[in-house]
Amino acid sequence: MNSSLEIDSVSVAPLTDDERGDLEDSLKRCSEETRFAAFEFRETGRLSLLPPIILGIIERFLEPEIRPKLKEGDGSLKLIDDLGIDSLTMMEIVVLVEETLDLSIDNEELRQLRTLDDVREFLDAKIRNVPPPQKNKYFGVEAISAAIPHHIPFLFLSEVELSSDEAIGTYPISGLEEFLKGHFPENPVFPASIMLEALGQLAVFFLVSTEKSETGAKVDPTKILFTGCEAVRCQRFCVPGETLTLTIKPKSIRHPIAKFEGKVSVQGENAAWAEDITVTFDWREAVDNLA
Amino acid sequence: MSRVFVTGLGFICSIGNDEATVVSNLRELKHGMELYPPLQTPDSPVKVAATVKDFDVESLDPEDWTFPSDYTFRRETLRSFSPHVMYAYCSMQQAIADASLREKDISNQDTGLYTASAGSSRFLHSNLERMYKKGVMRCNPLSIVASIAGTLSFNLVSNFKIQGSSSGFASACASSGHAIGFAFDEVRMDRQKRMFVVGAEDCNFDSIVPFCGMRALTLSDDPDTAARPFDKNRQGFVSSGGGVTIVLESEEEVDRRGVVPLGEMVGWGQASDGFNVAVSHPDGRGLRTAMQNSLQYSALNPRQICYVNAHAPSTSIGDLSEVLAMKEVFLPDASPMISSTKALTGHGLSLSSILESAISILCLKHGFVPGSAHIQELMPEAESLNIIQSTLNETPKFIMSNSSGFGGANTSLIFRSCQN
Repeated sequence: MNSSLEIDSVSVAPLTDDERGDLEDSLKRCSEETRFAAFEFRETGRLSLLPPIILGIIERFLEPEIRPKLKEGDGSLKLIDDLGIDSLTMMEIVVLVEETLDLSIDNEELRQLRTLDDVREFLDAKIRNVPPPQKNKYFGVEAISAAIPHHIPFLFLSEVELSSDEAIGTYPISGLEEFLKGHFPENPVFPASIMLEALGQLAVFFLVSTEKSETGAKVDPTKILFTGCEAVRCQRFCVPGETLTLTIKPKSIRHPIAKFEGKVSVQGENAAWAEDITVTFDWREAVDNLA
Repeated sequence: MSRVFVTGLGFICSIGNDEATVVSNLRELKHGMELYPPLQTPDSPVKVAATVKDFDVESLDPEDWTFPSDYTFRRETLRSFSPHVMYAYCSMQQAIADASLREKDISNQDTGLYTASAGSSRFLHSNLERMYKKGVMRCNPLSIVASIAGTLSFNLVSNFKIQGSSSGFASACASSGHAIGFAFDEVRMDRQKRMFVVGAEDCNFDSIVPFCGMRALTLSDDPDTAARPFDKNRQGFVSSGGGVTIVLESEEEVDRRGVVPLGEMVGWGQASDGFNVAVSHPDGRGLRTAMQNSLQYSALNPRQICYVNAHAPSTSIGDLSEVLAMKEVFLPDASPMISSTKALTGHGLSLSSILESAISILCLKHGFVPGSAHIQELMPEAESLNIIQSTLNETPKFIMSNSSGFGGANTSLIFRSCQN
């Protein structure tokens, strides 16, 4: 009936009496508004009902002292850092959203949802049955250490956001780093050499996450060597309590050499810059490479 | 080798949710049985249960539960609880206060926690039911950790931030006896300075009624006489639930913290019947050996035991086999006082051994020996034993606490008074 791209409703399977009773029970701790919106949605499929349903379900799982934050309507709120939602709570939310909206969300899709807006946009696309908006891929510290050979205490990336033409990483300087005891006693300053190391690690992460376009071959994480770094400038002291934002952009990737441009900043202030970070790499030896 | 002291107790059980109430009910032989409403249906031939009071944990959703206002819980704590975890958690808070433990005494590598529970049949069942109805991916993500037999350990170890040894025991009605025994060994052998031991069970339709099939429960509808261990006309046990915590500490820790121990645990023994999956050996073979082992490991002779808190659940075979075993161990030279407090508390399965050990400690601390209640006619086989039927005001020096579980698992624990 509605042929325009901006549809305002979708068709949903109507609730059986049995399902209605179950859903009433599942939503009993949600607000009146959320419950109303949920049943209205299952009758009409009106998309404008999604925000109150989704926010209401998230709210139901938050500890009472966190709930007012949600009411402020800031879509950039982070689920983990700002709302204290751990992975188990996230699963509780997902199960209830799935039941309420009658859809299924797989784990891979979930991993990319970090903010309230991510959730809203993702579910909106999902229910319209269109591809979700392309976002940078996000990786936490576990995913990073699973992908590259570096590990704590010599891993200087805590989060990475990856797109096709750059990688942005962060590293909060905790002050507990062993080397800060000597660099310098009573005056801890994050060493510039370690900032270059962090950029190198980010370049390694970028490389192992990209595929060779023709064959789909992947880079072997154990065969990457940091071979050079030119034109380096450091502009600022970085100290415990600050978070480094690291960015690398590939300049050329041609087997066996990859070159990147890198920069480090703290809250928008430039801290260090490297024009040419060079690493050598090799493809992972795999049977399907030969095909 | 360290001496091992009991420094803290916590109780959520059918005869009270705090030490003072439990002591008073034990002294006055007041039981915790009632006609439990969910059992008053034609489906259920069993009518009486020894229920936990002041907690309403019937709902499948822990956020619906009500409990005494002394306790508070965040949603993220409650969401992985089943009913017995709630009881146990509250008992552990009591035991921590009783032992005057501070946070750093609890969360360190020298402090461990052993548990005993059978898990939650009710929650397992409801989760599986949801899985079959709604699909595998629509299960509550917490359903496994909230219901399987390890749930007590998972919840307590994480919430109390335990960093030492932790494990759970599953030998049915001897489970918490094993948990205490092995916790004792941890401290005795200087592997841990302090051990929490927690036993707990649900007490609801799903935890009680399955025992009907094996004809182990009494079908009596009179709460006042339903449980009568050692009585000639005993008909079966009354099911119970709750949570009990005991704190065991090394002598060094007791001295360092400057606390007065409630009693000393001097040893324990265990042995198995190797006989039947559910029924105890007719001569009480395993339990006899367990008692003899506990005496030997404690370097005591039978005459030194002043009181035996018997396992005697009020079943025809169980009570008889224990009576025969006690005769072998004690007669003719020794004549300890004997009673079964299950006449008052009901039988809490994994809870029972730790509840009776904690009761034994209360006897040492408060100076009394509870009588074996509800005996109208003593079973003739027990006439040569000193089964006491009313409470005596004296402090026993050594107490033995027995337990027997399915498959013929038996434990016997010995505690000593710290008063001279």
